[in-house]
Amino acid sequence: MFTRPDRRFYRAAALLLVAAAAFVIATLVIGGGPADAETVEPVAAGTSTATLVIQNVINGLAFGVLLALAAVGLSLIFGTTGLSNFAHGEQVTFGALLTFFLSTNEQVTIPLVPGSFTIGLPLWLAAIIAVIVSGGTGWLQDKLLWNPLRKRRVAVLQQMVVSIGLSLALLNMLQWWMGASRHRLTNASGGRITFGDFYIGTQTLMSVVIASIALLAVALFLLKTRLGRATRAISDNPALAAASGIRVDSIIRLVWVMSAALAGLGGILLALFDNGAGFDSGARILLLMFAAVTLGGLGQAFGALVGALVVGVVSEVSTVVIAPDMRYASALGILIIVLLVRPQGILGTKERVG
Amino acid sequence: MTAATQDVLITADDVWAGYIPGVSILNGCSLEVKKGELIGIIGPNGAGKSTFLKALFGLVPVTEGKFVLDGDDITNLRADQLVKRGIGFVPQTNNVFPSLTILENLEMGAYQRPQAFKERLDVIGDLFPVLIERKNQRAGSLSGGERQMVAMARALMMDPKVLLLDEPSAGLSPARQDETFVRTRDINKHGVTVIMVEQNARRCLQICDRGYVLDQGTAAYTATGQELLKDPKVIELYLGTLGA
Repeated sequence: MFTRPDRRFYRAAALLLVAAAAFVIATLVIGGGPADAETVEPVAAGTSTATLVIQNVINGLAFGVLLALAAVGLSLIFGTTGLSNFAHGEQVTFGALLTFFLSTNEQVTIPLVPGSFTIGLPLWLAAIIAVIVSGGTGWLQDKLLWNPLRKRRVAVLQQMVVSIGLSLALLNMLQWWMGASRHRLTNASGGRITFGDFYIGTQTLMSVVIASIALLAVALFLLKTRLGRATRAISDNPALAAASGIRVDSIIRLVWVMSAALAGLGGILLALFDNGAGFDSGARILLLMFAAVTLGGLGQAFGALVGALVVGVVSEVSTVVIAPDMRYASALGILIIVLLVRPQGILGTKERVG
Repeated sequence: MTAATQDVLITADDVWAGYIPGVSILNGCSLEVKKGELIGIIGPNGAGKSTFLKALFGLVPVTEGKFVLDGDDITNLRADQLVKRGIGFVPQTNNVFPSLTILENLEMGAYQRPQAFKERLDVIGDLFPVLIERKNQRAGSLSGGERQMVAMARALMMDPKVLLLDEPSAGLSPARQDETFVRTRDINKHGVTVIMVEQNARRCLQICDRGYVLDQGTAAYTATGQELLKDPKVIELYLGTLGA
């Protein structure tokens, strides 16, 4: 059910645009371009709570956009196949770790392959290859696993259990491959852009820009292309889509490729935002991705974005009052409250019956 | 081949089909549809009326026998292949994409022939002008009767040779039911062969060229709609009274 954006969406989008515009203007006017990270330390001890909150909102929005990118595939797959894919977290991790594997100057190994070596590609090239390979893993798992299960009419609950098993297997394989330590994609400090009392890391800003472009591309794909509209038709009613002459299985294959590629890109950008990734990076945010998707409205592609922004902001701002370790719990608390008030999620719609 | 057999569009030849292996709903069903005909299929609940349409459209597996379209065996083909060969199917329920606009619903109908979309849209616009006026409205916000229109229009976008309608009048108000039957007749007059399955046997027989009475998964008998309306057995079993 990727509904066309209605008024509510435009209102939310307008708000976001205004916020983004204010943000950019503030960056340009107050900040005056990139500052040197070594010399600037804007948020000093004794900063007022208001300042702290706003800084956390900025961090939260950045995290939210990246989380949305990682989660949008989860939403697409749920929408078209009904599957809650618990192995999506490993897809996110895989993108980040493969980028590290291809770009690092350290010695890397492959399990069962003797010897170690260095590939050392430039980061951007490694990231592009990692996104393509991620998409390939989506193609492969639909070909070998999910499509045969659908063909045999295995119910989505059983498929979900399969995905939990797959998630655990992949998690262990990722640890076998990369060990338990965290890996940094880049050692460059990157610097910060400051505006008044606030700042954002240049690496983070770049990640957010890339993620926003990718999300925009997904939205345009769903709304403006024939394939995208067919994808929405399948999430509405797969049987009718088939009766209209749409080859449902090929479009679901495409959705798997897209979802896995987007998750991989999300993983890479989150690793830049987070200063590194480990074998369990994706698993740690899996529940947050589910929360974002559910919060926004299950199966609504734009719901993932709205939900992720809420999750990001709430989890970051909550660190002002509660221990940082608890911040994800507060985001999941918000999920419960929103669902009590709006069971269909923020953007979810109720259909007229008959 | 005689002229009569050349005119045959669809043949069901001793078709056995069912949802579960070993439990068949259609038990050796045979019937014949000629080009340009409007065929009504009536029968008691559980006679296999809807199953017949679904088996023809590949949604229920056929275990024995075959369906032939224009001389080609089309038994158990995939839905998209049947659409390509010129079969349009309108399911009884859930027959629109609720979150898509009317225009997008129609675009999905022409999915295999996007280059013909504009041209077909004009044709459909003549049949259903109201749909074009409201083309940007989401189908999920429409009433049952309006959805039925969208569903028929979607199925007609590929310019099918034959249109399969599964109980198009179900759940509609009497006025809307009438409209649906009149529209079906219109579509048929435009040259589209129509096979409709109906609960409303009287109205269905009034508009169709020929009716089939299905009973226990076989085509019990066939005659013109007018003949069946006067047939004592049909009156007793399906029409209740002689009626109007």
